[in-house]
Amino acid sequence: MSGERLLLLRRGGGLWGVAQAAVREVARRGRGYRVRLAGEHDLMADDVVGVVADVPVRPAGVVSRYWGEPAGGLAVHGATPLVVVDPERPPRFLRLPRSDETETSDGDDRPTDD
Amino acid sequence: MRAVPEFPILPTVRYLLVQAGEDLCVLPLPRVRRIVRNLPVTPLPGTSPELKGLAEFGGEPLPVLDLARLVGAAPGAAPPHPLTVLSWAGAEGAGELVGLAVDAVIEVVELAAEAVVAAGDGIVQGEATLGERPVRVIALSALGGPPAGARAAAGRPG
Repeated sequence: MSGERLLLLRRGGGLWGVAQAAVREVARRGRGYRVRLAGEHDLMADDVVGVVADVPVRPAGVVSRYWGEPAGGLAVHGATPLVVVDPERPPRFLRLPRSDETETSDGDDRPTDD
Repeated sequence: MRAVPEFPILPTVRYLLVQAGEDLCVLPLPRVRRIVRNLPVTPLPGTSPELKGLAEFGGEPLPVLDLARLVGAAPGAAPPHPLTVLSWAGAEGAGELVGLAVDAVIEVVELAAEAVVAAGDGIVQGEATLGERPVRVIALSALGGPPAGARAAAGRPG
């Protein structure tokens, strides 16, 4: 997965990456962002950090064994480790129900900092 | 001239003796790369307790596992300066660098293979006695393997 451009997100105090090629739209949603993906899932983010290229991504390895969520791999941006999510199977923690299309300014399901 | 009695020379393996919660564990020394103090770890939401989270070391992502949790040890007093033992996990020669969070690193010890009582094919390979204290012999090769779903179906190792 090296050489792929990744959109970096913050959510729940962690850093996450998703292939930019899989991103269709990024929109404000409450105090955070909704990231619309090409597949059947959307993501929610507390913040959008930006797009990075040529980030070496290594297999999730032992993380897959103990996390219980599919992971596309692991990488580092700056000095911060991140999980590269599989856009077809993002972790539940990041998913935003697609049926919820409302652009809220202050909703109960807004991204939080916890 | 009296004959010198011959004693068999038993092969020994060098290990790093660490404190993991209330238990003593030994890690095979050839698989230990470095010991780091106060390594910042970012938790991942929804992980099993064995996985403390992710860290960065040398520009690479590093999964950090809680050794006490891995071996089922009772938690000890939280150390003021937690240590992470960077070790190669998984198959020999194709391993993955992981961090093992421990409470203390004590010393390097040698154990004869005969001194280890086999305990299974999980992460606790066997048990031995050092002085009068029992120690758990860790098999880092067992940290590789199937993902959580397959592990749950097959029964959790360790």
